[in-house]
This record gives sequence, structure tokens and C-alpha cells, in this order.
Amino acid sequence: MTTAEATTSRKLTYVAAIADGLRCALREDPLVFVAGEDIAGYGGVFGHTRGLLAEFGPTRVLDTPISEAGIIGLGVGAAATGCRPVIDIMFMDFMGECGDEILNQMAKMRYMFGGKARLPMTVTTMAGAGMNLAAQHSQSLEAWFCHIPGLKVVMPATPYDAKGLLLAAVRDDNPVVVVFNKRSLGMQGDVPEAAYAVELGRANIVRAGTNFTVVATGRMVHEALAAAMALAQDGLDLEVVDPRTLQPLDIETIVASVRKTHRALVVHEAVRFGGFGAEVAAQIQELAFDHLDAPVGRVGAPFAPVPFSPALEKLYVPNADRIAAEVRRVVGLQV
Amino acid sequence: MTGGPVGIVANPASGKDIRRLVARASVFDNQEKAAIVARAFVGAIAAGATSFRYLPDRYGIVAQAIPDAGVDADVAPVDSPDTDSALDTIRAAAQFRDLGCAVVLTLGGDGTNRAVARGWRDAPLVAISTGTNNVFPRMIEGTVAGAAAGLVASGAIALAEVARPAKLVTVTVDGERDDLALVDAVLVDERFLGARAIWDASRLRVAVLTRAEPASVGVSAIGGLLRPLGERDPGGLALDFGSGGVLVDAPIAPGLYQTVPVRRVRPLAEGEPVVVEGPGVLALDGERERVLKQGQRAILSVVPDGPRVVDVRQTLHVAACRGLFRAAPEGRDGD
Amino acid sequence: MDVDRNVLLDLHRRMVRIRVFEEEAGKLMEAARVPGALHLYVGEEAVAAGVMANLTDDDQITSTHRGHGHLVAKGGDFKRMYAELFGRATGYNKGKGGSMHVCDMEIGMLGANGIVGAGPPIAIGAAFSDRYRGTSNVAVTFFGDGASNEGGVHEAANIAALWKLPGLFVCEYNGYGEFTPPARHQAIRDVADRAAGYGMPGVVVDGMDVIAVYEATREAVARARRGDGPTLLECKTYRFYDHVGIRGMGVSYRTDDEVLQWRKRDPVALLEAHLADAQILSSDDARAVHDEVRAEALAAVAFAESSPFPEPHELLEDVYDTSLPAPDEAPR
Repeated sequence: MTTAEATTSRKLTYVAAIADGLRCALREDPLVFVAGEDIAGYGGVFGHTRGLLAEFGPTRVLDTPISEAGIIGLGVGAAATGCRPVIDIMFMDFMGECGDEILNQMAKMRYMFGGKARLPMTVTTMAGAGMNLAAQHSQSLEAWFCHIPGLKVVMPATPYDAKGLLLAAVRDDNPVVVVFNKRSLGMQGDVPEAAYAVELGRANIVRAGTNFTVVATGRMVHEALAAAMALAQDGLDLEVVDPRTLQPLDIETIVASVRKTHRALVVHEAVRFGGFGAEVAAQIQELAFDHLDAPVGRVGAPFAPVPFSPALEKLYVPNADRIAAEVRRVVGLQV
Repeated sequence: MTGGPVGIVANPASGKDIRRLVARASVFDNQEKAAIVARAFVGAIAAGATSFRYLPDRYGIVAQAIPDAGVDADVAPVDSPDTDSALDTIRAAAQFRDLGCAVVLTLGGDGTNRAVARGWRDAPLVAISTGTNNVFPRMIEGTVAGAAAGLVASGAIALAEVARPAKLVTVTVDGERDDLALVDAVLVDERFLGARAIWDASRLRVAVLTRAEPASVGVSAIGGLLRPLGERDPGGLALDFGSGGVLVDAPIAPGLYQTVPVRRVRPLAEGEPVVVEGPGVLALDGERERVLKQGQRAILSVVPDGPRVVDVRQTLHVAACRGLFRAAPEGRDGD
Repeated sequence: MDVDRNVLLDLHRRMVRIRVFEEEAGKLMEAARVPGALHLYVGEEAVAAGVMANLTDDDQITSTHRGHGHLVAKGGDFKRMYAELFGRATGYNKGKGGSMHVCDMEIGMLGANGIVGAGPPIAIGAAFSDRYRGTSNVAVTFFGDGASNEGGVHEAANIAALWKLPGLFVCEYNGYGEFTPPARHQAIRDVADRAAGYGMPGVVVDGMDVIAVYEATREAVARARRGDGPTLLECKTYRFYDHVGIRGMGVSYRTDDEVLQWRKRDPVALLEAHLADAQILSSDDARAVHDEVRAEALAAVAFAESSPFPEPHELLEDVYDTSLPAPDEAPR
């Protein structure tokens, strides 16, 4: 579990925690700068950079042109020459615009150069459906990035993790993609005032349980917790594990949980096919096959783009009911 | 009345040299040149031209202007050695002469017109400026320039009525081919042609000018600000640079003033030789063109028998006086 | 405008170093002594040399897939370069990058790059960093006429001009984007025509004349260091050899006559003629430079070929900068 060095803590929203994390990063290292579309003067379309321009000025908090390839390149070049940039890509769906800069430059520079390059760079972005923003502003594409050697990927589920994982990402000397969830922005939680890092590559057991493991990422952590409440009435005691860092993955914590509970379900908001959950399920079966009493289940979005209509989007995005239903199916209970 | 084809040279290289960097010149893009040629075609045809010969360039400035102008006249390219250098223009000008062209329309700078004169020393010219530092060609709308060329080409107006021979500087170099300049021949303290342009007045040694125009930029302006000499005044002007004389603030390139020490200014009679000696580089019409080795001499003289330059305003004035653009009477037709 | 004698000799040596390095590299590829594909810079030496002679080791460059010449001109070491081409552990990249990624971060060479047009976005980052960190460095990006049509190049140019970054965009217009001439890539002929659209000066220079490139770069770099922003410098040059390898003639996409015309303007020979005329370097002295550099190259090839290959453990090293276990290698 993580503990902050902080002494004082207060309730902050998820979005305010992001801003707080950026503020700490900017304060603690003059080589940190934050650049992105509408993040300075406007304070971010999600409000996650509000106040930074006033405190740190336009040389460190920069509005950029709408040029995702250009600004990821900006980060790569600046990181390779001694800065510690944070580059914001407004919606994760826009990652396609900077595919090369992430896939072929940022991720590979260190390895291709035989370890001669250091890329202390953070890319922040906002994922997630459920806000009627349709197919190009709602996706969760984290599996893409987990598949690319050289990148680290984190998905904070809470205000505490939003700040702590962000600071850990900024302090890390590797490129880290921080995937925030836009439907979590208003969520309240305890956030220490001081700067603290949530260690990368360390999963969080959000709810301890005895007879079923749910591995959930991002906002699905909260849906899993809600499912756990509902299933408790059925005598199911769910352990909910939030990997927090998807790459590198803390598989030991997950496997240790499965060895205890003997059943597992992996949940994410992204499309199920070829998703991050497939990797987790495969590793569980490789590492804990003899401990499993049932095949590892998976919950994710169906294989379709994110629909616009609230009527359809409600069907699309995984929720506590679907998680609970899938848990029941895995354990052989009537659904 | 006798006419002939309109010869066309559009220099794709003009308006792009280092003066955009060392001074405040602007790029003159080739698309605009093509648009000017298209307008010139329209003007020339409206004025009665029916036949055109042109230098094909690698960008295809004229070629793409033909369909753009809707030209169904007799338009054909001349042979080009396709060296992508001034040689192409020199060869084209000689062919225009041999083909009996009535007038040559040029788009370019002093250098472009100089190349035409090297191929056809007294070529009849309508010169549109697209370069920098231009003293010889004028900034003029392509439609109107084309109309003037068309009036001469159709034979509606005789060349002798509207054109006068320009002066030029003959350049005789020891042991090498002769050369010429239309505006200025300058010995500069350099060893190489390099980036061609001249932008450092401290390296000027001797200049011979056919015209010294205070309302121009370049070496001509230096003379012009000390002792103006018009394009129609007889003789030329020689400047010896260096201390012991006067200082003059002159625009030696667009947007670039320098204080130039001029030791002596002297008028030159027609044909009066000025002998310069290497080492150094001869800049002709603003570009470093010929390297003079140690002890190698060049003789510079101003002579009056250069290209016959069509006065566009006068040509159109004559056309107006003669009613050459009046449409055929058909009902009500003005006065 | 004048170019110092020592600079001229330096330009000459840089060009000869590129020429010799590439000719030897080409032979190695033809003889299948080095693995993979090489994109050779022969014919374009004046661009790299003329630009790099204006830079310090602290100034950065980004390069292209045709990047050997840029590293040689920036001051790259033949031994480590050849060793990289051979895929050996002694190479600049420990054998993990090869020809298309060869780099030397210590002298500001941020890598050759296998992706066309990928350099400019990185270069603006270096330029931003140069200014952010309070240095007077500049960052130069090389890209070709083909790359000039990549979106990232436009994005980078726009940002560089917008923020007046201390950068220089050098377009190496060598007449072919791989195997296709610019006339079939773009409606314009001069990439510099786009400079006005970006809001920076655009200049075309003769990329076969190293003195012209040097003079123009000197002005552009001075402008960038003054804080006046970037420049688009287009160098008209020519690739003597094929897109890959050393075959230059008898190819389907260009005529031998065209190649021969350009070869008459061989940038190395052109400079040597200038230097001989100016009595700065006799042809014998020039030959001696070639011989000396060739001896160095051959010794470097021998070093490279006798160097060890990377050890198997290197496979998973350098993916991340700490020794975290690779994700598939979690303890069981």
C-alpha cells in the first residue's frame, strides 16, 4: 500500500488532484514544463491545468498549436536534451495524430541508441466513455501503449492516485503515458498537500477479499467495488486489485490474490478483444493455472466504436451490474 | 506593321536567395509567378498577340500558366539545355532572336534580364520584377505588362515608338569570356561566389553603374544617394569604396541599411574604361559571378546599346490614344 | 561574407570524411560484410559539411535515414560508426540501432531516423530545450524533399516559427523521395516557397557548393542564436547513388545522363577546384587528405569487423533506464 509522506490531507476532486500533481512537479524541478492544447490560458478543457499559468508563467506552462505530432516531438526533443516535459494530449483518441512520435520516437529512442538517450517525459491524456462524446472522444486505448516496449502506462482510479502516479511519472526517467478518466473528474477523495509519488509498477489491493479476484483498471475500479458490495449479499467476498500501472505490470500482486481466491475476472473500459485484460488473463493462467477453479473471465466494451446515443452508450460501457453478472457466471451462480 | 511572337522567360530561381535571410526580402513563390504569366497571357492576347515562345523551366511556370490562361494561341517551348541555371535563359534568348520574336517578356530580377541580354544583347524587353534588389525590371501588373508585349508583338505599336535601349556595362576579363551587367558591375573583396548575393558593404571595392537611383536598393542606391544618374542620362558612374571620402547610409539590400564609405564618385563617359584587378570577385547586377585571380584584370565600361526596354505605361497610353482596345461597334459602345 | 582559410580547409576535410566513409560503407554493403540496408550520402556532402561547420558540439541536429554524413560532419568517430553498421557491441548504439539510428548524444547528434519526416518535431524540442535551459545553442533538423510533405514537418515548422525557436530547417532537396521525383510529390518545386506560409525566411542555395551552404547557414544560425527565430534553408543537391546501396546508374527512375550532369558538379571536386584556384589547397594536398582519411576509415573498418557482437543479455537491456524486469519476465 502507498503512504504519503504528507502530513495534511484534504478532499480534492480528481481533476483538482491532477492540477495539484502538476503544480508539485513544476515546483520541485525547474526543468519541468507543461505543454498542450488549451492548457495555459484556458486552464485545460477539463480544468486539469487551471491555475498553473498564473503561478508558473508562460515559459513553463504553454499553450501549443493543435499539432499533436509536433508537441510530442517537442517533448521528445526537449527530454532528450535535458528537460523533463509534460505533454498533454487532450483526448486519448487524438493519439493517432502523434502515433509515430510515440511509437517510433519516444518509446524507442533509448533502446535504438544503445541506452545513450534518457527520455524523462510524461504524456497525459484523458480517456473514457459515458459522456455522450461519441466515437472519437471516448476511447480507452491503453492497450496500444502497453504493447510498445519502452513505454510505461498508468491509469489512476482515484484523486490520490491521480496526483501520486502523475508525480511518479514525471520523476521517472522513462516516457510514461498517464491515462486519466474524464468521467472521474468530479470524484472526491483524500489528497495530501505535499508532493508524493505512487510507486510505478505497484498494484493496489483496493478491497481485500477471500473468494474472488477482480482486476480492474481506471474508473472500472469503482464499478468493481460497487459490484463487490452487491455480491457480498450472495456470500461472495471480492478482492479488488487495481494494477494502477499497466506497464510494467505488477503481476505478482495479482497472482498472489488469485492463488488465494482461485477465481478471477479482469475488467476494463476498453474493447474486450485484444485488450489489456487478455494479457492479464493469459499471465494468470500461465502463472497460477493450478490454483484456478474456473477460467479467468473478462469484462470490457463490445467490439464496436463508442456510440453517441445515451441509450446505446449505456449498453456499451461496462458497469457494476455487468461485472457482478460476470462474476456470478464465473463462479457458476444463476445470473 | 510587323510583329512576331512573344518570347517568355520566367525564372523559377528568382526571389529565393540569401537576401531573405540577411536582409528583409520576401520569398517570391513560383505559384505567383505562374499566376503572373497567366495574366500576362491574357493581356497579350487581348492586345492582339497570337504567337508565344517560351523557355521551359523545371517547375513549369509557363507551362502551367497556359491552361490557366485558357490560351489556344500558338504557344511552343524553345529548346533548353535544362541546366537549371542562367545558361538556359541565355540560350532561350538567342533562340527568341533567331525566331524573330518581337518582344521578350521576362519574370525575374536583374539577373534574369542580364541573362537574356547575354543571349540577345539588344532584346526588346518587357520586364516584370519578381526578384529582390531589382533596379532593372519594374513591379508591374502582369495583365498590363502582357498587354504592352501584345501590342508590340501584334505590330499594333512599333517597338521604336515605345522602347529605348538601356545602358549596360560591358565586362572584359583577361583571358576569359566577356560578360555584361545591366545595372552595376562591382569588384568585391571575396574569393568565392558562395551564396551569390552581396550584403556586406565593407567588402565593396569598385563599382561601375549604368544608373544611380536614389529610389532603389543595392549598389545603385549608394551611387544614387550621392550623385543620382538616371537610366536615360548619358554615361555612367564609378564608385571607389574606402575611407578618405564620404560616408553614406544606403539600403544595400531590401530592409538593410549600411553605412558605406565611398572614397570617390566620378562620372563616366560612354565607353570610358574602368580597370579593376584581382584578387576579388566581380558581382554583376548584385550577384557574385566571376572570380578574378591575383593580378587578373577586368575592364568595365558603360555603353548605350543594351536591351530595348518597352515603356509599358507609354505603350498603353499610345494604345489608348489610338483606340486600340475599343471593341467593334455593336449598338451602344461608350463614346 | 568572407570565409576564412581555416574554415575552407575544415569544410574540405568534413566533406572528404563523408565521401570516404560512405564509399567504404558502400563496399561493405555490396560485399555483404555488413547486415541490412545503407542509405548513402554521396553527392550531398556539401550540405552536411556546410551546415555543421557552423555548429558546436553543444548544438543539436536531427538526421534522416540517410544520416551517416550528418554524424561524420558533426564529428562522429569512424570506429564507433562502422562498428554500429556491423552491429557490434563497440558501435555507437551498441549494435542496437544500426545505420538508420546511428547517433552520438554527446556531440548533439540526436540520431539518424528511419521514419521520413520524424526529425523536425524532435528538433523543435531540442531548440525549445536550448532556450528553456538558457543556452545559446541551436538545433538543426535535416529532412528531404520527400519528407517535406509529412504532416509533422509542417507542425514543427509552425511551432518553431510561432515560438521563434533557435532552430534551422535544412531541406536536402536531392531530387528523389526514395524513387519518385518531387514533381510527383508536390505541386511546388521549391520547398522554400512554404517558408512564408510558416512565417519564417526561406532561402534556396546551391547544395553542391559548400561555400554557399556555409554562408547561408552562418547567417541562419546567427539569426537563431540572436533569438530571431528559425529559417528554412533549402539546399538543391543530388543523390549520386540509389536510395539504398551504391548503384547509381542504370536505374529505372532516372537517366544516366542526369546522373552524369550532376556528377560534373561533384561537391568535393567543386570545392577542391576552388581551393586550388585560390591557392589554398593544391590537388596534391587534397589527395593527401583523401589518403589520410581513407587510411583512418580502413583501420576503423578493421576495428569494427573484429569487434564482438553484443552479448545475449543486451537484448533486454536499455528498453527502460532502470533494470526493471521486462513484463514478460516476471518471476514465477
